[in-house]
Amino acid sequence: MTPSREIYWNIPGHIFLYILFFPFLIVFLYGMYRQVRRLLMGQPAGVLDHFWDRLRGFVEHAVLQRRIARDAVSGLLHLSMSWGFAALFIATCLVALQDYFGIPTLYGNFYLYFMSLTVDLFGLAAVAGVGIALVRRYGAKPDRLLKPRLADNYGVLLALFLVILVTGFLIEGLRIAATADPWGHWSPGGWLASLPFVGFGEAQHATLHRLLWWFHAIVAFAFVAYLPYSISLHMLAAPANILLRNRERSGVLQPIDLEKAERFGASTIGQYTWKHLLDLEACTECGRCQQVCPAWTTGKPLTPKGVIIDLRDHLRLVAEGGDSRKMVGDVISHDVLWACTTCGACHQECPVFIEPIPKIVEMRRHLVMEEAEFPETMQQALRSLEERGHPFRGTSATRTDWAKGLGVKTVAGNGRPDILYWVGCAAAFDERNQKVAVSLAKLMQRAGVNFSILGEEERCTGDPARRIGNEYLFQILAGENITTLNRYGIKKIVTSCPHCYNTIKNEYPKLGGSYEIVHHTEMLADLTRQGRLRPERRMDGVASFHDPCYLGRHNGVYDSPRRLLGAIPGLQVKEMGRCRERGFCCGAGGGLMWFEEKIGKRVSWERTEEALALQPQVLASACPFCLIMFEDALKVKGANETTRPLDLAEVIAQSVEGSD
Amino acid sequence: MPLNIIVCIKQVIDPEIPASQFKIDPGTKRQVQGSHSLVISAYDQNALEVAIQLKEKQGGKVTAISVGAATAATALKSALSMGADEAILVDDPAIAASDQQGIAYVLAKATQKVGTFDLVLTGCVSGDWGDRAVPAFMAEELGIGCVSFVSRIEAKDGQVVLRRVVEDGYELIEAKTPVLASVISDDTNTPRYPKLKDIMAAGKKTIPTWKAADLVLDPDRVGSGAARVAITDVYLPLKESKCEMIKGDTPQEQAANLAARLRELKLI
Ligand code: SF4
Ligand code: SF4
Repeated sequence: MTPSREIYWNIPGHIFLYILFFPFLIVFLYGMYRQVRRLLMGQPAGVLDHFWDRLRGFVEHAVLQRRIARDAVSGLLHLSMSWGFAALFIATCLVALQDYFGIPTLYGNFYLYFMSLTVDLFGLAAVAGVGIALVRRYGAKPDRLLKPRLADNYGVLLALFLVILVTGFLIEGLRIAATADPWGHWSPGGWLASLPFVGFGEAQHATLHRLLWWFHAIVAFAFVAYLPYSISLHMLAAPANILLRNRERSGVLQPIDLEKAERFGASTIGQYTWKHLLDLEACTECGRCQQVCPAWTTGKPLTPKGVIIDLRDHLRLVAEGGDSRKMVGDVISHDVLWACTTCGACHQECPVFIEPIPKIVEMRRHLVMEEAEFPETMQQALRSLEERGHPFRGTSATRTDWAKGLGVKTVAGNGRPDILYWVGCAAAFDERNQKVAVSLAKLMQRAGVNFSILGEEERCTGDPARRIGNEYLFQILAGENITTLNRYGIKKIVTSCPHCYNTIKNEYPKLGGSYEIVHHTEMLADLTRQGRLRPERRMDGVASFHDPCYLGRHNGVYDSPRRLLGAIPGLQVKEMGRCRERGFCCGAGGGLMWFEEKIGKRVSWERTEEALALQPQVLASACPFCLIMFEDALKVKGANETTRPLDLAEVIAQSVEGSD
Repeated sequence: MPLNIIVCIKQVIDPEIPASQFKIDPGTKRQVQGSHSLVISAYDQNALEVAIQLKEKQGGKVTAISVGAATAATALKSALSMGADEAILVDDPAIAASDQQGIAYVLAKATQKVGTFDLVLTGCVSGDWGDRAVPAFMAEELGIGCVSFVSRIEAKDGQVVLRRVVEDGYELIEAKTPVLASVISDDTNTPRYPKLKDIMAAGKKTIPTWKAADLVLDPDRVGSGAARVAITDVYLPLKESKCEMIKGDTPQEQAANLAARLRELKLI
């Protein structure tokens, strides 16, 4: 006999299902309509480029959920629930296929292996997933879910899930028991559920089954209706957000057309693009971003999750007719806005590709350009940028002092070099970082690299101005630099500053400046591989490498620095717990180099303590700001005698015989 | 009471350049600008801030005046972007080489040409020459009182109360308007960061340039010919260092010789 079961057994009036569904559908559609209307409050945004790449990302992150699976427990529970329900939903559709189109989905091997066994196992997985979720949420209570506040209503969602799943299995069990289904054990869940009912009478079976069947249907419909009004919305909004994600690097900020703009930055929620608003609706409140945020973990009021859910709640209130609070200042406080180092950890971590940085920077833009209300120390840095083209007010150096006696040529005096060394303001004006410039210049000379510098013609790339929120100043500085670079026909650039690297590489092209740029660690790694630099002098001891955010996370350069350290004989390289993609910020990015951290612990101290736990002789970095932060923090910790903060160029210079 | 305030600002070469970059042209005996930027002299910015705050509270009008070269227009634009209502540049070769008294005379004439005024504010000392002379001379020219080193001003009962910073505290001085005050910085008058829309609006404004003729100046009181102060020389202080080895066979002997030599030089 062909394995099968009777479709809609015991449910003669199943056709009424559709009538019953109708009101629930109306409620669902109305909820979705409101949702779309909320999104349409935003500004236009183009997101449909590169369709295939978007689809690839969708499969990777919405279907296979790679980012969610980075946390094993959450990954497991989420995959079991989402795939479990997906399988059950597909099975339900397949039943409909047989009913309407006569395709025999409930017959033969397909029925046994897929419709019974596979689907049942998925259902059991979903039950397990709900179980783990309940234990974790209400038993283990991890901080990242509970703090800064519990805004979601996952409890209702999980309860609905549980009722739908359990009643589903009971219905199946009743049918198996009542029909003495010879293939019942192919549905392990249903078979188990059938056991208690074996002794029941026929009428009892039938009544109970019918009651539960309709109850199951109503709960399932209720879930559909409830979806747009609850955190369950993420089941639709999150996959949509993954599909429509920003494909650019996380370190890139979008330019404002200053000629045409009527406002600068965002002071009301409707001034964000609809894609940014979708970000808000897609947030699952998982708190992964918060867990890695250097501001939050050192006691600042900023949490990226908090920013997203506060903005989302504000958006909903505004859409419902009003929120008397100001977005900048009331909903999101100034302390929150000035705590972000733009380190990108939250972007890296978010399973659904939500981007807190541009939201924060838009509000900073409003404060800086429209209100002129921002921290005094940052004002001074920007004034210095306006007046002197660099943010190091009160420096005793000129742009070329570091190069005295080294025979470094300027482009103006050297014609066209093979490569331009973009020194950056920090290496030119900060005494400690001048040593890095010297080391790098000597290494390049030793390796026979034909380079020159712009000298007095170099300006700040504008990175601090842009990230503090002064887009106007950024565009002026960038414009001057691009004019200079293009005038000299510069094609190739090396820089020792990851911030300059990021800006020139990712942000200048939109303003008319496209150059091939490498970070000095990439160049030094190449020169070492080619044998043009030979780090042969032994360096005994332990070294650890701190990933600068704008080199690592924002631009994906992780290996060259490690290859360099690995090339030094004797040096033992130890990784900190938070390294590579999960590297922890030094605290100076996003313009916070010019901000006095008064709340909580200093980010740089937190990072330095992590490094000191490895007892390294060398704390290596590859960014002038990290170096300044570590110099300072190591002194405060009294460890500057035993642990030296060095730039990788300095480390290599020490190991290359005769280079110093 | 609404106040009409005149603020005199001067454009100077960025005073924050590294010392090694400070160069003097031996011919003109003036600092060489080179590639350095031009900024508003620091205390003049505090004066502007005081004026703008007063206007915001009392109503009235702030007019910025600068005597200088055509480049000073950028300084006046930033005054406008901070909140000055009007800006006037006085630029004429005939007055270029005036001394402090000459400049004070020109500023006073320009102030009178603007019309009625209740307050005249200047920085207490300029970022380049730093000889603190113009405010007093200017008050003299205008025939009004002068209060120096003022950090805050309040309007009260038709008068102004000026907070004058002195060595070990401050004095509060009540004065009838019009009065001139030279302004010193404190934490209430940090120059504001301008808003972008104000920067853009300032960029579009035209700044009138007044010539000597516009001010009906007495030619005998301006220019190098009228100057009563002549600069005979300007130079960078020379820093010399000499090295002298202290002799002695034992550390004790060396120490004794060192002490003796230091005493000889009257250093201990
Ligand atoms: S960019 Fe870094 S500091 Fe800013 S919110 Fe994200 S994780 Fe926190
Ligand atoms: S922004 Fe992303 S990582 Fe942060 S809570 Fe929301 S979904 Fe989670």
